[in-house]
Amino acid sequence: MIDHAAQAKTGSDVAAADDPQGRPTFWGRVTGNRAYRALVAVLFASPRRQFLILAAFPLVWVVTQHLGPMLQMLNVSLLESYPLSAGEEASLTFEHYRKFTADGGLFLKPFFRTLTFGVVLTFATLLITYPVAYFLARHVKRENQLSLLLLLLIPFWTGEIVRTYAIMILLGNNGAVNLALQWLGLVERPIPFMYTGFSVSVGLIYLTALYMLLPLYSALEKLPRSYSEAAADLGAGTWTRFRRITLPLTLEGIGSGCTLVFLISIGYYGTPVLLGGPNTTVFAETIAGFFHTAGDEWPTGAAFAVIMFFTALAMAGIFTRLIAMLRKGDSR
Amino acid sequence: MTRNSRVFLSIVFWAFVVYLFVPLALMILMGFKDSKFIGFPIQSWTLDWYLGVFEDTDVIGTFFYSLAIAVASTAISVVMGTWLAVLLTGRRFLGRGAVYALMILPALVPGIISAIAFRIYARQLGIEPGMGAIIWAHAVHNVPFVTLVVMARLSTQPKSYAEAARDLGADPLVTFVRVTLPYLKPAIIGASVFCLLLSFDDFVRSFFLGSYQPTLPVLIFSKLRSGMSPEINAISTIALVLTAVLGIWAERSSRRMNKEN
Amino acid sequence: MTKLIIDRRRFIGTAAATAGALASPAYIGRARAQGGEVNVWTYADFVPESFKEQFEADTGIKVNIRLVDDQGKQFNLLAAEQPNPTADIVTVAGHRFLQFIDSELLAPLDTGRLSNWGTINPVYSESDWSTINGNKWGAPILSGMEVLAYNSEMVPDEDTRSWEPFFSDKYAKQTAYVIQDMLSIVMLMQGNDGNMVEYMGDPDRAAEVVAQARDFLIEKKPLVRKYYDGGAEVQQMFVNQDITMACAWNGPIAALMADGFPVSMTIPKEGSYGFVYTYNVANNAPNADNAYTFLDAILASPEIGAAMTSASGFISTFKGAEQHLTEAEKAATSFTDEELAGMRFFRAEANDLKYSLVDPAVEAIKAA
Repeated sequence: MIDHAAQAKTGSDVAAADDPQGRPTFWGRVTGNRAYRALVAVLFASPRRQFLILAAFPLVWVVTQHLGPMLQMLNVSLLESYPLSAGEEASLTFEHYRKFTADGGLFLKPFFRTLTFGVVLTFATLLITYPVAYFLARHVKRENQLSLLLLLLIPFWTGEIVRTYAIMILLGNNGAVNLALQWLGLVERPIPFMYTGFSVSVGLIYLTALYMLLPLYSALEKLPRSYSEAAADLGAGTWTRFRRITLPLTLEGIGSGCTLVFLISIGYYGTPVLLGGPNTTVFAETIAGFFHTAGDEWPTGAAFAVIMFFTALAMAGIFTRLIAMLRKGDSR
Repeated sequence: MTRNSRVFLSIVFWAFVVYLFVPLALMILMGFKDSKFIGFPIQSWTLDWYLGVFEDTDVIGTFFYSLAIAVASTAISVVMGTWLAVLLTGRRFLGRGAVYALMILPALVPGIISAIAFRIYARQLGIEPGMGAIIWAHAVHNVPFVTLVVMARLSTQPKSYAEAARDLGADPLVTFVRVTLPYLKPAIIGASVFCLLLSFDDFVRSFFLGSYQPTLPVLIFSKLRSGMSPEINAISTIALVLTAVLGIWAERSSRRMNKEN
Repeated sequence: MTKLIIDRRRFIGTAAATAGALASPAYIGRARAQGGEVNVWTYADFVPESFKEQFEADTGIKVNIRLVDDQGKQFNLLAAEQPNPTADIVTVAGHRFLQFIDSELLAPLDTGRLSNWGTINPVYSESDWSTINGNKWGAPILSGMEVLAYNSEMVPDEDTRSWEPFFSDKYAKQTAYVIQDMLSIVMLMQGNDGNMVEYMGDPDRAAEVVAQARDFLIEKKPLVRKYYDGGAEVQQMFVNQDITMACAWNGPIAALMADGFPVSMTIPKEGSYGFVYTYNVANNAPNADNAYTFLDAILASPEIGAAMTSASGFISTFKGAEQHLTEAEKAATSFTDEELAGMRFFRAEANDLKYSLVDPAVEAIKAA
């Protein structure tokens, strides 16, 4: 109530042209200015015009800046050659898309590897972060929750490359993990973690866990504890309560977390390059390869990027649908 | 909740914390190693790598270059993001769903695809790779984050505020600047810091859109492949501390402002 | 931009301290200035600090150094600046000469103006690649080569005389190499010309040779630990003990040896490839006279060559430079005559043909 009153006071200040001593304030001077008034009269003459002024620039922005690059990528992927030499007519072709399956399916391998990686990593991230989010939301006192959350956020403010580098120090044959394992007598020879699917996974989960953790935490935190308690009163066991109550009610958080993590993790380039080995080449590296050399390979790189984008979007879409169906099924 | 599951959950939680922090701790530690090469065992210690960073003009130049890019791109993102948020939370209009989808698009495009799409678009527009191109790509990429945060805050603003101002004769522009904007302050600060961090940390867009002058993550990446020494640990640690301090400060101040309002 | 980090052609080996250092914008502004200056584009450690100070004190010519870390990048930069370059001296890898000369980026070197030209070992200064179109184009300063590097505590010497053990099950998952470089060496192992100059008139034969090498590397793919790109990566893999053997440029390995790490290098009997870094005067250099003064001064004594070697890990081309190295540095930068006999220099004549075939082969190996 108090801050509402304070705000209302601000509201009256807004229109006041004079301060208490009667001198015009800055805003008073601005709004009292004849040119300004004339401008306002023209600009805000009707709600329709007001809306146009509000909407015009953002609309142009999203179409040219948000959509533009994607459309241009689509365009270049269809060009026979790029950049066009002087006087050359742009001719369209699907040739670059055909390369995707050419060479005995050479490029299909990293493509499917990337998608498989993406799906597996997404579920691994879910499995790891769900208990973490659950513990935070349900077992930590409310006043401590934010501090602990802050603690978890700190590493995520550090960039991709710095964190990838930290993982490299951890996982080498002579790295911290192997030294610890050997010291504990668990292994005799170091385990080759680096440059495998394992090291790439450890790195990518490290990078994406936050995008899973936050939606899960906010879904779990919203969930009234009384639901679970009521079910316990009715004699439901821990697992049953989780499966029948907690899980269905956090499906939305799971859905958005998984979609985000999937889309983000397949887009990483630096981490797979640094942590990966000969058998972990991902599609991001393949696409990047077409941009390293001469410009005339750009259309192929663009075509591959378009394929990857629509595949990823379709997979995310189907997944979101699935989650929505599950939620409906449960509420029935 | 049984005791067992509670114990299990707390073990998982703290193991997760260890997973997050041990790599960073090791990285900080290795920066004190008195050798050109990173790795165990550490036989002797030195402060030289950390001190050296402050004398390395290349690194300092790169740091300010990244910072300038972060500040400039954040300014653009915040203006456009807030504007879009006001548009999208205002009255309903035909195509609002489409605008919302377009608004959020840059955040959903996987990194590598976004980077090369920007690269192609920049070439089409005649923007040379370099500072301008990176600022532009970061700005566009970060807009959705601002919009989402500001929209969330806007939706909690009681309608009566703006109405009261208008009843008192304020035009829409003044109402926005003097009523709505102050109300949005915590959201805008939070979103700004998030954009600063996203831009400062971004690798893939900076990598594809940069020219000869690298940003800090690109410099670290190139040093990892050629020219590695504990200096990278020192650089990374300093970057880590700066981003962490900025992040914590933003969290605290935006929470405090949320409480005050 | 992508050329910045990944030179797909891998023409250059990178000294440990070299490539991380990127050009500072501070130099760009300065480089245009007139008068008592000489602008040098080069790698870190290629101009010894003590030499620079002495030269500046002796001649009053200020030496502005802009660091390059990539030949492709330097080429693009210089090409963009012509016909008014800011550089007086650039540092070109010998086998890239053709590209620079064809684009008229270099001025022919007037060796008559260099009284100390004789300091350079004729093996380098009179080698087949060094004279093009009847002219000399650069002063050779440092030499680098592909070596078989190995952890001397884990790999017995007899396994390093040939490239065969490198590809054997015994060292499965313990090896690393740069695919582009390895393809040339595999061609050599298979009795073919890795420079592909021999096949310039015979594209079918050329394709066959590359396919043969490619198939070999695909067959051996299960044995390799990592395809790497930069010198620091291979150093780090040795330090982490992720690998015990690698095909690498000598510079980074020498730096590891100098740091006391138990690693050695050799040129196996099938041979290997190498190249020479040269200082070149840029076409239309703004301070050409100062450039010659600088070149003559840097060629003045073997000590300067030795200083360049100990800083960069590459091998000095100066006669007698090795006498000014420490024992450890000597061990890290000298090879027996027998080893050197297998050395061949990279040649650029067939590069268009070679890389039109090698680049797709590299992608195929990576994706396989």
